[in-house]
Amino acid sequence: MGTSDLDRQIEQLKRCEPLAEGEVKALCLKAMEILVEESNVQRVDAPVTICGDIHGQFYDMKELFKVGGDCPKTNYLFLGDFVDRGFYSVETFLLLLALKVRYPDRITLIRGNHESRQITQVYGFYDECLRKYGSVNVWRYCTEIFDYLSLSALIENKIFSVHGGLSPAISTLDQIRVIDRKQEVPHDGAMCDLLWSDPEDAVDGWGLSPRGAGYLFGGNIVTSFNHSNNIDYICRAHQLVMEGFKWMFNNKIVTVWSAPNYCYRCGNVAAILELDENLNKQFRVFEAAPHESRGVPAKRPAPDYFL
Amino acid sequence: MADKVGRREKERWQGESLTKTMKRVKVYRLEENGKWDDHGTGHATIDNIMESGERALAVVDEEDNDTLLLHNITPDDIYRKQEETIISWKDPEKALELALSFQEAEGCSFIWENMCNIREELQSEVLSSHEVGPQPAQKSLKASSDSLSRDKPLCKASSGLQGLPPLELSNLSVILKTILEYGMKEQMRVIDLISEDRDFFPKIVKLFRTCEGLGDMDGLHMIFKLIKAIISLNSSAIFDVIFSDDLILDIIGALEYNPEVRNVQNHRAFLKEHAVFKEAIPIRNASVVSKIHQTYRINYIKDVILPPKVLDDATLASLNTMIHANNAFVVCLLKDDALFIQELFAKMRSSNISAGSKSELVSFLLEFCDRSKSLQPTQQIQLFRDLASQGVFDIISDVLQSQDKVLVSDGTGIILHFLNQDPNLLGSYIANQEENRREGVSLLGLLVQGMVTEFGGEVLSQFLEILKILLEFAPNTVTHCRAVIEFFYENHFDILVDVIESSCLPKSIAGSTFGSDGAGRRFDEYSAKPEILSNICEFLCFCVVHHPYKITVNFFTRNSMEKILTLTRRRERFLVVAAVRFMRTVIGRNDAFLISHVISQNMLKPIIEAFVENGDRYNMLHSGVLELLEYIRKENLNSLVVYVVESFWSQLLRFEHLKSIQAFKIKYQEFVESAETKQTTSVGHMGKADERGLDKDSNEGSATQTASEQQQSMVTSAHGSEIHHIPARPKSGGLVDYDDDAEDYNTSPKRPLEDDEALNIPMEGHSSSDGKNTDGKIPKKPKLDAGISFSNMSIANVAGRQSDLKDKQPLLSPVSGTENSGGNDDVGDGNPGSPIQQHAPESLDLTHKTGDDCIGAAGEKKMEADSAKATDSEPDTSK
Repeated sequence: MGTSDLDRQIEQLKRCEPLAEGEVKALCLKAMEILVEESNVQRVDAPVTICGDIHGQFYDMKELFKVGGDCPKTNYLFLGDFVDRGFYSVETFLLLLALKVRYPDRITLIRGNHESRQITQVYGFYDECLRKYGSVNVWRYCTEIFDYLSLSALIENKIFSVHGGLSPAISTLDQIRVIDRKQEVPHDGAMCDLLWSDPEDAVDGWGLSPRGAGYLFGGNIVTSFNHSNNIDYICRAHQLVMEGFKWMFNNKIVTVWSAPNYCYRCGNVAAILELDENLNKQFRVFEAAPHESRGVPAKRPAPDYFL
Repeated sequence: MADKVGRREKERWQGESLTKTMKRVKVYRLEENGKWDDHGTGHATIDNIMESGERALAVVDEEDNDTLLLHNITPDDIYRKQEETIISWKDPEKALELALSFQEAEGCSFIWENMCNIREELQSEVLSSHEVGPQPAQKSLKASSDSLSRDKPLCKASSGLQGLPPLELSNLSVILKTILEYGMKEQMRVIDLISEDRDFFPKIVKLFRTCEGLGDMDGLHMIFKLIKAIISLNSSAIFDVIFSDDLILDIIGALEYNPEVRNVQNHRAFLKEHAVFKEAIPIRNASVVSKIHQTYRINYIKDVILPPKVLDDATLASLNTMIHANNAFVVCLLKDDALFIQELFAKMRSSNISAGSKSELVSFLLEFCDRSKSLQPTQQIQLFRDLASQGVFDIISDVLQSQDKVLVSDGTGIILHFLNQDPNLLGSYIANQEENRREGVSLLGLLVQGMVTEFGGEVLSQFLEILKILLEFAPNTVTHCRAVIEFFYENHFDILVDVIESSCLPKSIAGSTFGSDGAGRRFDEYSAKPEILSNICEFLCFCVVHHPYKITVNFFTRNSMEKILTLTRRRERFLVVAAVRFMRTVIGRNDAFLISHVISQNMLKPIIEAFVENGDRYNMLHSGVLELLEYIRKENLNSLVVYVVESFWSQLLRFEHLKSIQAFKIKYQEFVESAETKQTTSVGHMGKADERGLDKDSNEGSATQTASEQQQSMVTSAHGSEIHHIPARPKSGGLVDYDDDAEDYNTSPKRPLEDDEALNIPMEGHSSSDGKNTDGKIPKKPKLDAGISFSNMSIANVAGRQSDLKDKQPLLSPVSGTENSGGNDDVGDGNPGSPIQQHAPESLDLTHKTGDDCIGAAGEKKMEADSAKATDSEPDTSK
């Protein structure tokens, strides 16, 4: 797959036109070769722009790129949850993946709790693949790739980024090293927690998560984690915040949410966090694209039918 | 003015005291810092703004009657009601986010309903504003709603719907408005009015054709809205009419003129010119054909013309129900048409049909199976049985020998339908075929072959899925499924290993220095696609988990594990990672036999070498191997600990800065120390845990182990010729405390055992008790006798690579007491790499052991819904 093919595919995906099944497979194989070399705590250099959940809201992601600048001019770190809920999970994920393959050093994708076989079968990605391709092969290729996505990122040794949050099994970043991430997101344990946990004001220490996976963790946990790993703050996604971003625990942890008007009805704005080369922060808030679903037929049915 | 508004409102609401509390609200505004700012408390009202005729939401300060808020209600969808007492919105003009927090839920819903009604009115005004001048009827309606708007407009008006205005172009907007307005509260009445009028739809169609002929876009847009509104009434009676053969194409035509889409869509052209109804076998029943067309078109409307979000969930569900019922009707009639089925199978069997029509027949059969999901379960089971007895599997076998990717893919699709319905049908067919097979085709063989074959240059991963379902052993499975597994290992398993072997660098080239410089990694002259190798490796992990006994036998007799591990020589890193994962799955069985096999055949060598060669790159290979070592350490697989340290320490030394490598060495030292303290007689040179000792020994030591049920064990050193009996039990003062029944791994003396008896014992144990725990039997043997000398076993291909083991024959015997060492339980309880095996208990949390319940997908659904709800109320105005 040459660069020109890839550029053509990126252009096609930018128009929200999905790739052919064979192209998806080739793209995924290429991505696999790149992702297998990434570490569980992927190092990222500043400047970089951090983005939270996208959830298949393709046209809103295009707004994101309008606000944040195109890849590769801007370096990006996406914190997972590319798929499910929105109408364009296929196009959204494939565009990000194609960018990853084209500009591996310019864009980092880490895994969210929705990058999972089990979850995508309930929240839409599976059905979307079936609807758009008439088979679940594309879902298979993509979920295979999910197993290769890194679990977290560390920006200039100072900002730890993860989809969900912390884990009682992880007190140092080095402990993440020994996770064999090539697997479906487990139901418990460190890998699960990183993708599922949430910070919570009302909790001191660790608390049960109402989500049924991961934990709630309080300010003291964050403070001691940041201190022992010598990081400034944690940047995570995973929870809808109406203002697009939200600091907690004395600026020790920030939630970034990048799906405006989540599920096309929550009425929230979205944000991305731009870090310059000196790690100065600027949040960019943006709103949903107008009339996302218009004009694009959800599906071209197979022209032949027997029954 | 606001003051006045407030007073007028009071008059209208019954009971002043009630009203006051009901409409008491706090006003909040979202500030730039993301905080909600309290802007005062007052009373909410809705009133007309005289000058403009617009209606506004106002809040008057409860103390000084100042206007806290005046907001013109817009038809846009900006309002949200959260929980019981909050209404919030974002004012697009002023770029403000505001929220009202009501004292009482009742007041909140009162205002909310009023706002909704006003918005609906405004929307229909917007919709009809393109229309020709307001009609008298519309005027009066508007007037009436005006006069009512300050009260509860729809409550009063609800009694008023007498009939729809006559269907004329000029009345369309009024009709639309009526449907939209009354559709909510008097849905049944509206539906009745439409259904009673037999000419209603024919008239719409006539109007549509006229407008289209004249190019009257306004009229066409209005008809689109009308049809959409009628579909949203969600009435099956109406669906039956508009989706009938006579009307459906015109209805679809009307839906081409969506005013929100710039270009007119050519839906009819697609349906008429591009969509092709293919009759693989002519269907004589006209009603069946009609239903088939209807189903396709409703699907088209649902998926393409009015995709999700445009239609509400209830309407969507009704359309799905209709499609479902149609499918059931069609499949039912066809399956009972004996003539039809006969003709179908005769044609598929016939040798003189073109490739094209064969392809069509198979596609038809695939769709037929797919649609049969709409049947009642019993009917569906019967259908699949009938198809099986008609010889469907013979036809599939034929299909799978093709090179045509689409055809083969359809064939696998049909098989998957059978497997999902009832795996026994295919299972018994295969068992039967394998039993009686001499020369002919083997479907099982074709399926295995399919996994390692490219069809038109493409790998079809469906074969992997098929084999997994087919060979997934369930305890209640019928015997022939057990037989299928037997046949698989007997006749077909080796193909998979052979493909790996022939795709990886041969040993002779690799030599002992393989990998150290990476030069050998270019070898891929004959080579299966990496995808195929990756699928095979995944499947082998599945086998280890589901058929540990069968595959163990294969490992022992065919030396297949070593061949599989040649995957570590591939240059694609993800294949090396896959090989590590395979090893991890094997060790994850915690099966003493497998573990001793790994040790005796030095099978961690390629893994460790790949790790070392990978160097300091922190990638998936690095993490995968570290996780494997962590697992060995945390599970107290001490024989492996000893083996790894004594065999590879010199190579691992450079990684000592890594915590898990350090911990691994400490584990070894502790183990050795505790073994020493357990000794009754002192041992000279076992304590070589220090680095120097290790360095010296590292290339020699092969780990050996034996277990002791009698709580007695022996220690050997890597050099050891001495045999030291030590009581295993006395509580060692060491750091590692071994429970009675926990692993009591100890190094054992090397004592040459020449006979194969030791091998036979466990093998018998395995074969005679498939599904029973080996360890129940073996440990009864006197320990030393039970020891197995693997290097003496008649396993081929070992000696050359095993120079370091040659003159130190390790002793192995099954480990006793390990709970999870029951590796021969062929009933798998998890997937390869299931989380259970992935995380040693130690890695779990410290706080709430109960909290790590699995989240089922359903659980997550609820939870996500909850969290969405919870986060919906993020602007927490009640604070």
